[in-house]
Amino acid sequence: MSEITLLLVDDEERILRSLAPLFRNQYRVLATTEPEEALTILRRETVDVIISDQRMPAMLGAELLYKTRRISPPTMRILLTGYSDLGAAIAAVNEGEIFRYVSKPWNAQELRDTVAEAAAIAQQGFSGPACLPTETERDRVKVLVIEDDTKTMDTIREITRDGCDDECELYCVDNLEEATELLRCEEIGLIVTELRVDEEDTISTIKALKRYQPNVVTVVVTSYRDNMALIGLINEGQIYRFLPKPVSRTLLARSLQSALHHHRLLRIAPTIRDRYTVLPSLEERQDMLPARLRGLITRMRRCSST
Amino acid sequence: MTQKIDSLILSVPAVSPNISIEEVGEYFLKDEFKALLSIPVVEAGKPVGVVSRYQMMNIFIKLYGRELHGRKPVSRIMNVHPVTVSSDQSMEEASRYITRNIGFPITEDFIIVDDGGAYTGVGVVLDLLKAMEHQLVKHGKELSVAYNELKSSQAQLIQSEKMASLGQMVAGVAHEINTPLGYVRNNVELFRENQRQLSGLLGAHGLLLDALHAEDPDDELIMERLAQIKKWHRLDGQETETLFDDTFFGIDQIAELVASLKNFSRVDQAMADNISINECLDTTLKIAHNTLKQKVTVVRDYGSLPAIRCMPSKLNQVFLNLVTNSAQAIDENGKLLIKTFTKDSFLFVVVEDDGRGIPEDVLPQIFDPFYTTKPVGQGTGLGLAISHQIVEEHGGAIRVSSRVGVGTRFVIRLPLDGAPAQHTLVAGG
Repeated sequence: MSEITLLLVDDEERILRSLAPLFRNQYRVLATTEPEEALTILRRETVDVIISDQRMPAMLGAELLYKTRRISPPTMRILLTGYSDLGAAIAAVNEGEIFRYVSKPWNAQELRDTVAEAAAIAQQGFSGPACLPTETERDRVKVLVIEDDTKTMDTIREITRDGCDDECELYCVDNLEEATELLRCEEIGLIVTELRVDEEDTISTIKALKRYQPNVVTVVVTSYRDNMALIGLINEGQIYRFLPKPVSRTLLARSLQSALHHHRLLRIAPTIRDRYTVLPSLEERQDMLPARLRGLITRMRRCSST
Repeated sequence: MTQKIDSLILSVPAVSPNISIEEVGEYFLKDEFKALLSIPVVEAGKPVGVVSRYQMMNIFIKLYGRELHGRKPVSRIMNVHPVTVSSDQSMEEASRYITRNIGFPITEDFIIVDDGGAYTGVGVVLDLLKAMEHQLVKHGKELSVAYNELKSSQAQLIQSEKMASLGQMVAGVAHEINTPLGYVRNNVELFRENQRQLSGLLGAHGLLLDALHAEDPDDELIMERLAQIKKWHRLDGQETETLFDDTFFGIDQIAELVASLKNFSRVDQAMADNISINECLDTTLKIAHNTLKQKVTVVRDYGSLPAIRCMPSKLNQVFLNLVTNSAQAIDENGKLLIKTFTKDSFLFVVVEDDGRGIPEDVLPQIFDPFYTTKPVGQGTGLGLAISHQIVEEHGGAIRVSSRVGVGTRFVIRLPLDGAPAQHTLVAGG
């Protein structure tokens, strides 16, 4: 196994000096205060894991991670930030497609574990989107829309009718109960969901789904703006896109299209699937999941073991 | 709310123009006319004149006046242009008309007609005066209530504007603290790991020492102990030293950030002596660091300033407001110049940016309350209005000049001998 390379980027060199001893024994550690230099390194050599700060004078972390994704898709991306602004977290999801969002101050052991997990995934290798979905994978993807706002629902209906009618089959519900029922019976590939429907929270469901059915791709379309919730959805739900309402039709259409593509990719490339591994959610760890969701999880577990 | 003139109507009977002067004289003696200066003359329901007690007296006190004129019709002597107001006129309106048209000395009452011009009664000027006075008192009371309400709601607005900007800043500083907190915490964890290493190493050294001090030293055991010691990781003394330095630096930074928040949010709004404006500016810049660092280079050009008497927390609010506005006017790679100097008996603070600038048509309005160009939710539109007020409270002035595409410059001038005390402010109006 070749040596694993970790790249640290933060405009505060004390952060770099502090992080380096944490990883030096296991990895080759590169560090820079300049995002541009980080990009040069990425072009020059293989980097398995990058940890970037968000607020740097020269470039925002989300932008750096987006560029990282373009230059070196296999590199696992982690954002380490002390600023909890929603805009940054949204950019980190939609553009950076980050693996983890870690808040400062961090816990040393947890950060070590996170990096170890990312490094292990990076070491598995990365068979990029070169392998396109074959004929058999081109069957219609079952898309579940969980939304109680009829306007958004109508837009999604229009988009799928106009653009990808032959690619997907739409299931529309406006409450969590019906959604859970559908998830039990149908093999859903893509979920487009609001975070609150009919006064119920869909967050736990999104997280559990990604954990037990890693092929499922989630697009969140919501008017709910909470940074902490979003961080949870990144680390424990690996949502694919986060679109705050009001969302433009074009953006929604583009996101759905690429989410469908992403789902097909996950189905055929297990190594890519691992790149979206989630942490078990706090609710699950504390055994505080609602009964309905526990039932669904049991069923999903049974399915995945067969 | 406004009172109508009809509340003053006295419905006294009128006389016809054909009635004799002598008879009118009799009328004046009747009880119902006792309070009146004059008697209205009405023909076919419409007022045609008024005859006053004064006129009657002029006739009657002349020798043979009564005999000469008594039988003549009143129309011969009446004033054919009586002051007439309509009953639906407001008290103020009627009052204005009456004072302009009534003769002096006042010898007549005024006539009140309905909207068709028909006679309805008379009004007495003294009653009008009383009513007007009453209304004035009432208005005065209303005004003072309104004034008090306005004053307290303005105080609330100032407070909420301050809280809004402070809230943003507190969030910014809280995040700012996370960076030093991040490495400080991590370093301390590293120290703990090092400490575990060290105590392990110390234990191994102790065992080696025991082996060496044994009465009959066992070479094999000594070699084994030595090998154990070698297994421990080497600790880099230099690195540990640096990490300690960083840790203390971080803790100092956290302390400084907390202190600047405390300085900034000082609840005591009172005047304080010996305040350094340069220090206030530093506090403000520290608080705003998070807003600025992304895109603004701050250039400080401080002159040496004497300490002045002022309300530091209020001035900080002004400085923060200007600095934040500048940051918002800068898209990227901007420059913010903060300059202070003294001239004559004044202290000047210049806040200058090379941001978008303020259009000429907007410039005169920027100090107006609620004027804002920012999208809803991003500004109360009170920032500059309040800044203006605070500077004036300090006996100072704030000026702006700006050019689109070039930048904006705010200049605050404060008196070196300090802000006037509160009571002189009030007394001086």
